[in-house]
Amino acid sequence: MNFPSWTLLGQSLLSGIFIGSLYGLLGLGLSLSWGMLRQINLAHFALAFLGAYLTFQLTSVGGMDPLLTLGLIAPAFFAFGVLMQWLFSRFSISPFNSLLVTFGLTVIIESLIQWIWTADYRKMDSVYGEMKFKIGSLYVPLPELLTLIIAVTLSLSTWALLRYTDLGKAMRAAAEDPQIAAAFGVNEKRLALLLSGLAATFAGVAGLCLALSYTLSPSQIYAWIGVVFAAVMIGGLGNPIGPLIAGIVIGVAEAMTMALISPAWAPLVSFSLLILVLLTRADKV
Amino acid sequence: MLELDHIEVCHGLATALWDVSLKMAAGELVCVVGPNGAGKTTLIEAIAGLNRITAGTLSMDGASLNKLARNRFCDQGIAIVPEGRRLLTTMSVQENLELGSYRAAARVHRQASLERVLALFPVLKMRLAAPAGTLSGGQQQMVAIGRALMAQPRLLLLDEPSLGLAPSIVLEMFKAIRDINESGVAVLLVEQNVAMALEIAARAYVLEEGRIIAEGTPEKLLTEPHIRRAYLGEA
Ligand SMILES: Nc1ncnc2c1ncn2[C@@H]1O[C@H](COP(=O)(O)OP(=O)(O)OP(=O)(O)O)[C@@H](O)[C@H]1O
Ligand SMILES: [Mg+2]
Repeated sequence: MNFPSWTLLGQSLLSGIFIGSLYGLLGLGLSLSWGMLRQINLAHFALAFLGAYLTFQLTSVGGMDPLLTLGLIAPAFFAFGVLMQWLFSRFSISPFNSLLVTFGLTVIIESLIQWIWTADYRKMDSVYGEMKFKIGSLYVPLPELLTLIIAVTLSLSTWALLRYTDLGKAMRAAAEDPQIAAAFGVNEKRLALLLSGLAATFAGVAGLCLALSYTLSPSQIYAWIGVVFAAVMIGGLGNPIGPLIAGIVIGVAEAMTMALISPAWAPLVSFSLLILVLLTRADKV
Repeated sequence: MLELDHIEVCHGLATALWDVSLKMAAGELVCVVGPNGAGKTTLIEAIAGLNRITAGTLSMDGASLNKLARNRFCDQGIAIVPEGRRLLTTMSVQENLELGSYRAAARVHRQASLERVLALFPVLKMRLAAPAGTLSGGQQQMVAIGRALMAQPRLLLLDEPSLGLAPSIVLEMFKAIRDINESGVAVLLVEQNVAMALEIAARAYVLEEGRIIAEGTPEKLLTEPHIRRAYLGEA
């Protein structure tokens, strides 16, 4: 085996960080609804792809700037998240059943995507797609850089919201003991609607990032589930920053495995890391 | 101030409280005693809005609370120190206390309330940043009482505050409860420690199998042989 050049290693490191930040961004909403609403929302991935296709549609056909599509997608997805939580609460869906229900929802959204956009591969043409710049000998593609910035910003803002604001503290209190939170004035049902709306909005934002950098096809929905679940479980349920850090660690480990060993080994990385973490930290999950 | 008029409360299909009537005046210290499973916690949680009333009326100052949303009970000036404390164990002591002052009317006085709680329980000063779950049982009980005081209640509901605490700390807890009451807050106290509870209460109710079987001043209740036998361990 030839040792790859430093430039190649650096480029791999960078692409690992970039894809890791997308794992983290996808994991953010998943972690919030899992840790704070006790829902394992598989539909989060389908929702992200729906967001990606909508971005694709509005940009390629509608001629909008990809970033501006968020002005339409974010409120629509927020409303969808609120409606979903309202239904979950109305029908008292248990954590285990949430897995089944959201799996069903995934299949429905997948079919919808396939029906509207067919199973063909779609790649968004946008002004950002061609933009790259160079730092030293390394290429930095703008779409990926945007993804990193968005993921870091959203994760940190969510962390600050939960850590420092009365609203966020009330959300954490309601997640731990809804009755007691209510006894002290927290409207925990409304906060759950808000959280679910936020999580769905984050799926929409992740969709934008998917559309910026990746070729879309309906079946791709399932390709992200395993590794993002690993990032969320390593990063900690309900933790807004953990999934991003874990996502980047996984992304970098995968990219290094590809560069140094073989691309075929990369998919093993996230699950080896997950098993390692679960074994050393059996109490936390 | 508080009035329960022939209320009934169910857990699912099982009725836990039957035809319970109880009255409290502002600033009064009243205690409820009864054996395990009598329905004391059910009663306290009903007054705090956590259990729905299926018959009868619960009212504050003559206005019915039967249809009030459970997160609005605190705005009536009702605050609960629940059985087993139920602190938010992963959150800091300060965050737990601040939850008490979440409601708008209490939030504006948050800083002053916090200082008053820390004056009542000075040991908590050093532990404000610690996760509440890492405190000793006695300190956790102080946080639970402090959290309720942060809500600036007119009526404090205490469910077995001395449970599982060392005797010296129990004494301290009873002293704090008496101080709180003397500052003008009405206290409804549920206690296993009947002798001590009757000592500080102005009136008491005896609850058995979901029904009030006796009420009156401690002096009066202590003349009843059944109560002496059942609650004070006399032959
Ligand atoms: N969540 C619940 N679901 C079903 N039944 C309940 C529930 N909570 C209490 N009960 C039942 O209601 C009755 C009254 O219980 P409660 O907890 O109010 O009694 P208690 O007087 O507080 O007892 P303890 O002294 O043990 O705290 C008991 O028969 C109990 O089994
Ligand atoms: Mg009880």
